[in-house]
Amino acid sequence: MNLAPNVLRLLAIAVAFGVSILVLIAAGSDPIVALGALVGGALGDRYALADTALKTCPLLFTGLAVAIAFRAGVWNIGAEGQLLVGALAATAIGSAAGALPAPLPAICALGSGVLAGAAWGGLAALLRVTRNVSEIIGTIMLNFIAIRLVGWAVHGPMMEQAARYPQSDLLPASALLPTLVDRVHAGTLLALLAALAIWIVLFRTTVGFRWRAVGANPRAAAVQGFDPNRALVSVMLTSGALAGAAGAIEVLGVTGRLYGQFSAGHGYTAIAVALLARLHPGGVVLAAILFGALAAGAGAMQRVAGVSAVFVSVVQAVTVFSVLALEAVRPRRGAHHRGGADGGGESP
Amino acid sequence: MPRPTLLAWLATLLVLTGGCTRGEESSGFRVALLSPGPISDAGWNAAAYEGLLAIAAELDAGTSQVETRTPPEFEEAFRDYARRGFALVIGHGFEFQDAAAAVAPDFPTTVFLTTSGNTVRPNVAPIVFRLEEATFVLGDLAARMAPDGKICAVGGMEIPSVRSTFLAFEAGARYGRPDYPVTISYIGSWDDIGSARTAALALIDNGCRFVLHNADAAGPGVFQAAAQRDVYAFGSNRAQHEVNPRAVLASAVIDIPRAFVDVATQVKQGTFRSRVIERTMADGSISVVYNPLLTHVIPDEIRAAVDATEQAVRTRVITVPTAEF
Repeated sequence: MNLAPNVLRLLAIAVAFGVSILVLIAAGSDPIVALGALVGGALGDRYALADTALKTCPLLFTGLAVAIAFRAGVWNIGAEGQLLVGALAATAIGSAAGALPAPLPAICALGSGVLAGAAWGGLAALLRVTRNVSEIIGTIMLNFIAIRLVGWAVHGPMMEQAARYPQSDLLPASALLPTLVDRVHAGTLLALLAALAIWIVLFRTTVGFRWRAVGANPRAAAVQGFDPNRALVSVMLTSGALAGAAGAIEVLGVTGRLYGQFSAGHGYTAIAVALLARLHPGGVVLAAILFGALAAGAGAMQRVAGVSAVFVSVVQAVTVFSVLALEAVRPRRGAHHRGGADGGGESP
Repeated sequence: MPRPTLLAWLATLLVLTGGCTRGEESSGFRVALLSPGPISDAGWNAAAYEGLLAIAAELDAGTSQVETRTPPEFEEAFRDYARRGFALVIGHGFEFQDAAAAVAPDFPTTVFLTTSGNTVRPNVAPIVFRLEEATFVLGDLAARMAPDGKICAVGGMEIPSVRSTFLAFEAGARYGRPDYPVTISYIGSWDDIGSARTAALALIDNGCRFVLHNADAAGPGVFQAAAQRDVYAFGSNRAQHEVNPRAVLASAVIDIPRAFVDVATQVKQGTFRSRVIERTMADGSISVVYNPLLTHVIPDEIRAAVDATEQAVRTRVITVPTAEF
């Protein structure tokens, strides 16, 4: 059984909270009040839970996007950019298709966001395959292009009709996702379904097996006749599609419009989520909930206890560092690598 | 690969502790501030925080402040404060209007105040500071001191409240000479000091002799550029010569604390009625503050002429143009 790694991970989170309490004390605040507000703001009542669910959704999609890419040995740092073009496409198509009968505008908008994200990821894969541009560099640069693209769109062609503020007009109600309970939208269900689908693809299909094989050992995979470039392109398309869905769902479920500085760094937090989950779809669900809860609690901590919201970034960073550090001290056994390639029997 | 069961344990633990840590603070008159940026910006947000502290001191109010950057955060914070019974919640900027209007119907006993804007509801009101009156005077001052030069302005984002202050700056410069050249540049950020410096340097190297900024926390970049090239800059929102005593000749200043305390007093006494609350030079909320260390730089006859312009603006002899809101 794999008890030891889990104990280590729990230990890492405990260490992170311990360090965070020390930071709080050093900053001169009462750690009980502050952490109480953090936890209360994340899980204290139904509004807090709704808030946590809303903040979890984009992290879950982008976390999955990063996890499958890393699984295949592809360093997709571009979830941020893929999310942004997804949001951009969903806004454009959502407002253009607003007049269609009821569920169609939302479906078209969501679909266009997914396709745009996939295209953005595919672009990085294309650069890698045809020009041998490292996908790390490619995706980071494409992030900047996406940020500027959104900035240009909301200052230019998509600026609201009244031309007052750099943001798009509110999307028509027909293009928005239905809400389930409180402010929680249907996109959160889609996120959970996506996690299940990715688990099935990774561990129950040939495509997923090839991704894992190429990621675990590209040379051995090539000997088996797996084309690493094909795996690269297909995983980047899928990864981009997931991140694009995150952006589209943020627009269609939460904000209803596009504006500059849309993302709040979900695409980067996603890397931490994926690493904490050790690239497993089930783990991504839990890690995304943890980070979503931290984000929801961060606002409450500042509102109730007067602690800077930046503090939560400290908690997140320390958590990731502790996980990675403890990962490094863990004795590496042969089972670890084999698990990477054929961990088929797992349940999330 | 390991099973993530222990993470699940942790989540459960968090849920359990969450259930019993939600304490409620004391009731009484409470006021909250949503700032769009850090309250350490020595400008727009710092002034609002001073206002909040003044409310706490003068009205014996409980206060809370939160930094919010995106519309979903605006709405979340508005809702949370209103739900917890805050009597007055201030969204510090034009961009808070939509969120205030969306939340307000659910919380009729809370007053939502936005600084600048035009959205009025039974419990939503904008407070509009006519900072244009001060930037008009600064434009006049700059054009008089550099009769053959150019002047320029660096903005954060191109939003109506900022555009409007620059429109008035330009009108002030052209008060004496109708074809006076004024260049305006936006950096697309409220806190990128490097961009602000680069933009200001480019403008100065292009012949600009005075730079006005309206870029919040990015403003110090403009001051750095001015100091580096030996020209003068103008501060905005607060008297900013303390930020850079060498470069800031004068500032267009808003007395945000006074205005906040006035509104909060009305809310506390129950006399508040919703409307566009306008604050001007005439009521003392807007002023031009000169750097005491650099007053010798301004020749007496120019200072006299500019003071006359200021008086004309205050008494509405001159109508200062503003952008469409």
